[in-house]
Amino acid sequence: MQISVYVALALLVLTAIGYLVGRRQAFVAAAGRPSELHSLPSYYGYYLALWTGVPALILLALYGLTGTSLVNTLAMGELEREAAPLIRAYDTQLAQDPDLSRLNDAIAQLEADAQVARSELDKARRDGGEVAAYQRSLGDLTVELNRLQGEISQVQDRIAASIAVRAPDNLAGDRARAGFEYWRATPDRRDLFLTDARALAFGEGFASRNSSALIAAGDAMRPWDEMFRWSSAGLAMAMALGGLTWMRRQITVTFRARNRLEGVVSFALFAMSGIAILTTLGIVLSLLFESIRFFAAIDWRIHEFLFGLQWSPQIAIRADQVGQTGAFGAVPLFAGTALITLVAMCVAVPVGLFAAIYLSEYASSRFRAIAKPVLEILAGVPTVVYGFFALLTVGPFIRDAAVLLGYEDAVTQSALSAGLVMGIMIIPFVSSLSDDVINAVPQSLRDGAYAMGATKSEAVRHVVLPAALPGIVGAILLAVSRAIGETMIVVMAAGQGANLTANPLESVTTITVQIVMLITGDQEFESAKTLSAFALALVLFALTLFLNIAALRVVERFRERYE
Amino acid sequence: MSKLAPIRDAVMERLPQRHRAEQRFQAYGLTAITLAVLFLTLLVGSILTQSLAAFTAHRLTLPVTLERELVDPRGDGSEASLRRGSYNAALQAALRDQFPTVHGVGELRELFGIYSAINASRLLTDVVNNPDLVGQSVDFEFPISDDADRYLKGASVSERQIDMNASLSIEIAGNVARLEAQEAVLAPFADRLRQVMADRANRYAAAAEAALASARQTIDPDEREILEAEAQRAQMRVQQLNERLRPGADFLLGPREPSLLVRAGDTIVRLTSITSGGREATGEVLLADQAWSGSVTRWSFWEIETPAATRLITDRQMVFVRLLEERGLVRNAFNALLFTNADSREPELAGVRGALIGTILTMVITIFLAVPVGVGAAIYLEEFAPRNRLTRLIEVNINNLAAVPSIVFGLLGLAVFINAFGLPRSTPLLGGMVLALMTLPTVIISSRAALKAVPPSIREAALGVGASRTQAVFHHVLPLAMPGMLTGSIIGLAQALGETAPLLMIGMVAFVADAPNFGFTGFTDPSTVMPVQIFIWSTSAERAFEARTAAAILVLLVLMVLFNAVAIYLRRKYERRW
Amino acid sequence: MTAYEKLQAGASVRQETLYHPVEGSYTTKVATKNVTVHYGDKSALNGVSIEIPACTVTSFIGPSGCGKSTFLRSINRMNDTIDNARVSGSILIDGEEVNDRNVDPVVLRARVGMVFQKPNPFPKTIYENVAYGPRIHGLAADKDQLDAIVETSLRKAGLWDEVADRLDQPGTSLSGGQQQRLVIARAIAVNPEVILMDEPCSALDPIATARIEELIDELRENYTLIIVTHSMAQAARVSQMTAFFHLGSLVEYGPTEEIFTNPRDQRTQDYITGRFG
Ligand SMILES: Nc1ncnc2c1ncn2[C@@H]1O[C@H](COP(=O)(O)OP(=O)(O)OP(=O)(O)O)[C@@H](O)[C@H]1O
Ligand SMILES: [Mg+2]
Repeated sequence: MQISVYVALALLVLTAIGYLVGRRQAFVAAAGRPSELHSLPSYYGYYLALWTGVPALILLALYGLTGTSLVNTLAMGELEREAAPLIRAYDTQLAQDPDLSRLNDAIAQLEADAQVARSELDKARRDGGEVAAYQRSLGDLTVELNRLQGEISQVQDRIAASIAVRAPDNLAGDRARAGFEYWRATPDRRDLFLTDARALAFGEGFASRNSSALIAAGDAMRPWDEMFRWSSAGLAMAMALGGLTWMRRQITVTFRARNRLEGVVSFALFAMSGIAILTTLGIVLSLLFESIRFFAAIDWRIHEFLFGLQWSPQIAIRADQVGQTGAFGAVPLFAGTALITLVAMCVAVPVGLFAAIYLSEYASSRFRAIAKPVLEILAGVPTVVYGFFALLTVGPFIRDAAVLLGYEDAVTQSALSAGLVMGIMIIPFVSSLSDDVINAVPQSLRDGAYAMGATKSEAVRHVVLPAALPGIVGAILLAVSRAIGETMIVVMAAGQGANLTANPLESVTTITVQIVMLITGDQEFESAKTLSAFALALVLFALTLFLNIAALRVVERFRERYE
Repeated sequence: MSKLAPIRDAVMERLPQRHRAEQRFQAYGLTAITLAVLFLTLLVGSILTQSLAAFTAHRLTLPVTLERELVDPRGDGSEASLRRGSYNAALQAALRDQFPTVHGVGELRELFGIYSAINASRLLTDVVNNPDLVGQSVDFEFPISDDADRYLKGASVSERQIDMNASLSIEIAGNVARLEAQEAVLAPFADRLRQVMADRANRYAAAAEAALASARQTIDPDEREILEAEAQRAQMRVQQLNERLRPGADFLLGPREPSLLVRAGDTIVRLTSITSGGREATGEVLLADQAWSGSVTRWSFWEIETPAATRLITDRQMVFVRLLEERGLVRNAFNALLFTNADSREPELAGVRGALIGTILTMVITIFLAVPVGVGAAIYLEEFAPRNRLTRLIEVNINNLAAVPSIVFGLLGLAVFINAFGLPRSTPLLGGMVLALMTLPTVIISSRAALKAVPPSIREAALGVGASRTQAVFHHVLPLAMPGMLTGSIIGLAQALGETAPLLMIGMVAFVADAPNFGFTGFTDPSTVMPVQIFIWSTSAERAFEARTAAAILVLLVLMVLFNAVAIYLRRKYERRW
Repeated sequence: MTAYEKLQAGASVRQETLYHPVEGSYTTKVATKNVTVHYGDKSALNGVSIEIPACTVTSFIGPSGCGKSTFLRSINRMNDTIDNARVSGSILIDGEEVNDRNVDPVVLRARVGMVFQKPNPFPKTIYENVAYGPRIHGLAADKDQLDAIVETSLRKAGLWDEVADRLDQPGTSLSGGQQQRLVIARAIAVNPEVILMDEPCSALDPIATARIEELIDELRENYTLIIVTHSMAQAARVSQMTAFFHLGSLVEYGPTEEIFTNPRDQRTQDYITGRFG
């Protein structure tokens, strides 16, 4: 880190020097008559500075972004090679261990049973028969499977420990042990291993534990790290100096410095607007890629994901096993999302629309000047604050009210409280978008209605609203898309149980809640459970994109009509 | 001379009705606005009232003797030795000095439960910074536990003390005390509690009835089984209660009933049973004054109405903190720790400093990425881009990107920045990058609007005097559009400031007990941000976190107001009209 | 008797009592005294007094910005809809003060219809556009009566033959001239006493203009019409009375022939002969 900072500072100084040199060179080339130059002298300075600083800084930034993972990969690769004998010994031991083969047989047996149970469950479901019994037996099988898996990993750990002690008690042995441990580790354990090793080697933060293997791993990283550090620093400096001298020679009276600089600037600007495209591409590709992995993990039963009625990702055991039937049926999530969105719209649309109508048609300008910002404050409040409000104020209130009215099963985390609060959050959306649309309705239409002797409300209801309807529909679509994608309120106030219900007093779960649960719950990135979050996000993305495009279309049509 | 024209008659006929409709309609509009304002008031009001409790905290000041053998185990006064000292033992000793009669392991555990041992680490820092303190006695001030704090604030327990003037003899044998009064002074309390229990028995009986009734109606055998079991349980409760309420029997007090304490000086006894006559009682000694025994006339009842089973502080702990408060060792003061500490599992020690620094670092990254890139992209699209399909695609794309749910950006960060690029998770660097991507569309859109608002005449004038397109834009258009771009960007950044969901995706939800370094290296320290801190606290079980969450929300809202105030200030200052 | 029937009956009565063709004189329908209008601090009209006879066409002429529209709009209190407009002075219709607090603008505007410079059909079907007034005022007891009103109005506006088979198409689908006749039909569907027209032909071609002028002439039989126009020729063709406005004041007012052949004021003369404005 330190050296990079110094290099960066040196580069900045070099860049400044480049500017001065470029300007001077321009004067020299013009032989004292700057008016002969194609461009102003400072442009030569900027151009030279650009060539001095930018490529070197980009290199440095690349190092900063990738250096660490590069060093880790190289060093650990080295160690894993050294651990090859241990790994071989471990593999043979695994193959010979009687406990293990017994356990594996048992698991194979269980998996076969589970397969049968699953197909029977499928059949029962298709035929509309009794499924509870199958589900229960499938659950039992799963528990048993989990237990066996646990035993297997215990045995594996035992064997690994016995293998690891075979390595000699010196540095080479430590390195081999480190490679072996790393090779065996799951991805998240690997992360932890690397973090700890780096902490010990470079003092970056605190290590969670300390072992000779970790120290050896850290030591293995050090030479690579030094090499990259110095070579990147040297390369950056060389590039800067090279750019400086080479470009300096290019400067002549006819050199079109300004045009070239402008070319670079407009390319940079173009690249910046390209980031938006890259972001979209990144979103689409990463969601698609991970979703495909998820669908592969559940045997491409995409229809079950989209139309299945049971959502319980916890049942899935591990990524290398066949997916669990029915566990990834997302319909309860879709239904929960729809229910909460519906409740939210029932609050936001009437309140927002009437507020917009009142503000644009009735309110005095003084009243408007106060009320509009107040409404906009509602939009500026962070959603996590709404979540807190829903959880601690609205939720308990609704529960108590429901109990008072005789609904005994009321819960604090209900679709109603989440939807209600989300509706409050969305009010300013509906109102400000509708306000724009209503104001865009030409005054001549209102005048026409008034001239017929219409009252104000008649003019609004019969003329202004029908004229503004497409725009309002667009606004509502945008609000719906917003509600579907809203996360914090539902995470805090809607609950986690995947209930398939239309009762707003029950707790439901939504797409976004499940994404949060799946991603924050378990760090095992490879499991179908975690991957399913991406599939959900893909659905969410497609849904909101569709709504947004539709809304923009509708609003555009509306604008075309009146502008 | 006025003639009634027929059209008027026709109109007049329906007019009242139409005017009523008009008034109704107007009322709807006004109601809508009132509702919205009401919601806002409720929101802010509830958060304000909830937060109040977090801004003060009860702090305990104890004279702590830093015995050399405790804090300097090696005896050489070196820092290494001082760091190995048992400071908590020193704190415990200081607390025991206050209650010399407390001995048993359980009692001591209750005593030491009124503060968190983590406080000792500050004592350690004090001593390490100033080794001369070893061997001396210092006044050490630290927060008491959140449960004790809530009790002293009257938030978790309702209680009352009644001074009595009647002769009462107290006989203490070990842990048990026998009380005998001349009159039936205990009777009213016992009767009232009896009534409470009788009510409870009636409620259980009713519940059992109801369960049985619905069990008869249901056809699902499983459900019936469940309901019947429920009814049985309720009936058992009724029986138990009736047993205890049997006339003539001693009245027994358990953890589900209010606690009845008798206090005479520093001797405090919790009654466990009262004879039916209300004259005699036995009890458990909570605290005994060594210097005292025998009979008193001036004593007091201390009725703790909240049953022990429903509160997190024990009777004895309440006695301890009350006595400490009476001795002037506990006082309620401004809770500075809320601002100077980072997160902690102990509510009384938790503060927003870590999240605040995390927020600042994250926002620095966001600002330095989103604003230049967003403004650059806007300049390109508005001033340079040819009107072709690619540009059109970028425009549509930006509009749609602005409506992508924020959580999706978090997943993008997880899949691309963490898993593909290997950037460190949970760090301000990563969080800032994700938020920058999220804010970018907003910045681009508002910057383009600001550029659009600059009249074309300015560009034409610049081009007219021979400036290149780039010069016209950078020298003339950009300075004029800057204020508008700034305000737009700030609004987008304010959104990022309050954003939570995408940061959950990239691991910023982890518990981080140390504030990140408020400097260059802090960008890659694990940290959290204000909104996420609010989320973490709001999901904590401890009730004391509720108030702290509300207080953290206030801090965040103040930040947002400041942010927006800057936007308004800039707009006012540079506002231009053409 | 339904409101519609009353209206039908009343309409015939009214014509007789108001019109005295024998004497060649008219009953005053609209009389104003000292009407002044301010927009904010700016005065747009200062002290206009005029008496407009019933069942005639009166045209307002004058250079742009002289306050013609402003005056027209104060007759049916359309200026109420403009926040910063203030009207003072008195405006009497049939001797009744328009600006009186007890007068409901809704009733007033039902009695005084208005047609605007640019046709502004509602975003509804042709039928609904014409039926709008009768509907809100409850003039028709049932669908048949409403159909009848729509048909009569469209016939009176000379549009029936063109739209009879497409009544359920949106009003905005018509051509500019048809739209203008549609809004005239809309205005006469409630059978108002006075019809105000603010440059009704400015957006139309000569043929459409001729049709509207014909229509105005026919309407004169039953309604009092006031039209604002920038075309001298049109004023001469359709109106019996002409008022010339200049800089917010009424300069000259009289029978159209007199104004055009023998103006008393120099400014009128200059304007008519095209020397300014
Ligand atoms: N809503 C308004 N707010 C402020 N001033 C207005 C408003 N409407 C009209 N005016 C002003 O009042 C004056 C008279 O306007 P008015 O529209 O009556 O003129 P006009 O004679 O109808 O003109 P034209 O022949 O161009 O239609 C003008 O100076 C105009 O600028
Ligand atoms: Mg006009």
